[in-house]
Amino acid sequence: MLRRRAFLTTALVGLNAGLILPNLFVRALAQAQADGSRPAPAAGGNRVLVIVQLAGGNDGLNTVVPYQDGRYYTVRPTLAIQPDTVLPLTAELGLHPALTALADLWTAGRLAVIESVGYDHPSLSHFEAMDIWQTADPERGRRSGWLARVVAGAVDNQGHPLGAVALGTHLPPALCCPPQGATLIERPETFRLATDPQHPDVEAARRRALERLYRAYRPPAPYAALFETTATGAAVSLAQLHQALATYRPAAVYPTTPLAHGLRLFAALIAAGVGLRVGYLLQGGYDTHAEQAHAHANLLRTLGEALAAFWADLVAQGHGDRVLVLTWSEFGRRVAENGSRGTDHGTAAPLFLLGGRVRGGVYGAPPDLGRLDPNGNLRFETDFRSVYATVLEKWLGADAEAALGRRFPLLPVLD
Amino acid sequence: MPTRRKVITTIALAGLGAALTLAEAAAPVQRPLTAWEEFGHLLRRAGFGAAPGEIEAAQALGWEGAVDRLLEYTAVSNQDLEARLAALALDMRNPADLQRWWLLRMAYTARPLEEKMTLFWHGLLTSSLAKAPAPFLFRQNQFLREHALADYGTILKGIARDPAMMRWLDIAGSVRGRPNENYARELLELFTLGVGHYSERDVQEAARAFTGFTVDRAGQVVFHPPRHDDGLKTILGRTGRWGPAEVVDIVLDQPAAAVFLAQRLLRFFVRPDPPADSVVAVAQTLRTSGLSVKAALRQIFLRPDFRAPGAYRRLIKSPAEYVAGALRQLAAETDGVGLPAMLTQMGQTLFAPPNVAGWPGGPAWLNTTTWLARLNFANWLATDRRRVRLDPAAWFPAGRMPADPAAFLDGLAQRLLAGPMGAGQRAILLAFAAEVGGDPADRFDRWGRGLVYLLLALPEFHLA
Repeated sequence: MLRRRAFLTTALVGLNAGLILPNLFVRALAQAQADGSRPAPAAGGNRVLVIVQLAGGNDGLNTVVPYQDGRYYTVRPTLAIQPDTVLPLTAELGLHPALTALADLWTAGRLAVIESVGYDHPSLSHFEAMDIWQTADPERGRRSGWLARVVAGAVDNQGHPLGAVALGTHLPPALCCPPQGATLIERPETFRLATDPQHPDVEAARRRALERLYRAYRPPAPYAALFETTATGAAVSLAQLHQALATYRPAAVYPTTPLAHGLRLFAALIAAGVGLRVGYLLQGGYDTHAEQAHAHANLLRTLGEALAAFWADLVAQGHGDRVLVLTWSEFGRRVAENGSRGTDHGTAAPLFLLGGRVRGGVYGAPPDLGRLDPNGNLRFETDFRSVYATVLEKWLGADAEAALGRRFPLLPVLD
Repeated sequence: MPTRRKVITTIALAGLGAALTLAEAAAPVQRPLTAWEEFGHLLRRAGFGAAPGEIEAAQALGWEGAVDRLLEYTAVSNQDLEARLAALALDMRNPADLQRWWLLRMAYTARPLEEKMTLFWHGLLTSSLAKAPAPFLFRQNQFLREHALADYGTILKGIARDPAMMRWLDIAGSVRGRPNENYARELLELFTLGVGHYSERDVQEAARAFTGFTVDRAGQVVFHPPRHDDGLKTILGRTGRWGPAEVVDIVLDQPAAAVFLAQRLLRFFVRPDPPADSVVAVAQTLRTSGLSVKAALRQIFLRPDFRAPGAYRRLIKSPAEYVAGALRQLAAETDGVGLPAMLTQMGQTLFAPPNVAGWPGGPAWLNTTTWLARLNFANWLATDRRRVRLDPAAWFPAGRMPADPAAFLDGLAQRLLAGPMGAGQRAILLAFAAEVGGDPADRFDRWGRGLVYLLLALPEFHLA
């Protein structure tokens, strides 16, 4: 009876406060609840993919440090992470000490490092490289994001309005174009129907009229189905989001950073069982051309602590096995540091996968500092689309070949 | 399990106690349009909707006269707009100021088709703040406005020398021997012919013609003869030492170019699925007029299918059209601070299309997030008493706001929808006004603002 109770509560809150559920589309909410009682879609079950984009180009060499490689210490006189401070993963590689929070995940075998991820003829432009990663197309012929095709189709055919949620001010291209199927939330506080500040008492009548006006707009009026789906989706997702947040009791203490707040929101949606399949959020600031050491350590600390809290929370709530986190950045950075104690745009870099079904470990060989390209950048070993294909096929149960245009070798990183 | 769902639906409806009566259902327009509706339609499509008085003025000119006045906009003074913008002292190096500047132009211009066509070009010949600074985009915007109705060859030749475009599609820095194919490919694929009407070889050869240019920080285009490939090139079957301008001529000589442009114009101005005979007719006009955009538009607006019921409210407004239209139709006074951010929430950051293909448009404009953002803009417009000044008296020909909610509503709908409401809609809105009542000291403030919000929220108002 949980569903029924949740429905009644939501409807009630909406009618009384008029702030959460725009009591408009109760009919649609009932429909969504009815749909929710159907069997889950076969593809991918109820698994969740959370993507954390490290925007600006994360310095891979200082994230997963080749702490036995003398060449690394030679070309990074001021920026190199000293061997005695790294968190050793293998005999050759160790994590930046600011990532201490991830140590438990590593020990538990739930953190995977994919080394030297990239693609041929890499672009050193932020814009182009992001575009390439988001559309999964180094040839730049595709317009739609690598997840848009999946979100709109195979992953969730149940029409859960919160099936794909991106946090921020722009819908990430990975989920875009066409943007149907993904919900963008800048801040939960502003993800509402705004009211007349002068006359809050008018709101209930306004909502009622709005509801009736939209219900009266029916086929064959132009785009009637689109308006119904859209307004309904808005009503349901407003109700679900705010109810999920209002009732959520995290089992871990989250840091007060925006990144951690975003992950907490995803944890709340996962716990609420509202059909979240893809969550997307971004941590900016990785374009560390100058005075990198301090800034980069702060970024990694923020990342590690947010992920660790998210992970602890999910595990405590019993959702660890349902969630996979993927981090990515548009490129790594130049192997040699520059004259401003920073690093310029580079190429291949490691990325992280973490989750209850991840087979922990390092995949791929450590970066080869003796075999750089003419720009002094690392050569890639694992095509980023192999990572995507693995996630699509092994995690989301989607057709990776259809989504990416061709087959890529899968990585044995997921159980 | 349709049965089960239907039962739940019925229960939920009954529980609300607001069962839908047949009279409330909106019907699409099947009857012939009234003259008022036709002129309202023209001003929505060729502009951003009618400011108070504009439908009346257009009607007085007759259809052809109104179309010509829209097209011959250089004869219309835009002095008031320029003075209004100058007073804001905007800084065009700042993206938000640049975006405000353009949005306010759309809302307050006396030459609506000029801004509408500039918006059309921005969506077709895209460039973005992602790769060029705001002053470059400002310059491009002015170029597109200046040549908004020119022949397509002039526009394409100019845009290939435009600093923002040169950065966006990598003409800048492309050198002989290793030409960058980005611009050449999009010229053929997205700007003129479409896939299937050229070969990869044509892309490679055309790319050679665009080598040798750079753009400096100030936006100056510099030509470096040694970096330019002046060798023989074969493009679409024609061989010569072609440079950028000749490539445009060769490409536009292809029959597919006129068809392509006709389709784009018809989709933007008439309906998403233009019938084949319209495409053929407009393409023919383009071919015989040297690809004159003005000639094509004149024909489009004069063709009967432009104002046939099948075209009526068949387009979904872009966020810019929705926002500028609401401001314009209500003659709302605002400096526009905050509007660019609202537009972004609606899925359209001006000067930053999602990719080189521009905004996908159509149904893609509407989703949960963007719909909320549109309604929240409507709320801002209707209720932010500090940032927006509304003068309800100006909406009525008599210059006075009617005291009676019914008369107020009918007049406002005539403005905003450019036509009558359905009987069901009218009943719902009047019930709302009666329920919330008025403030004796200020009739407008409660039910008046509420009605403005609800009309802007109506599905019909999201359609052009």
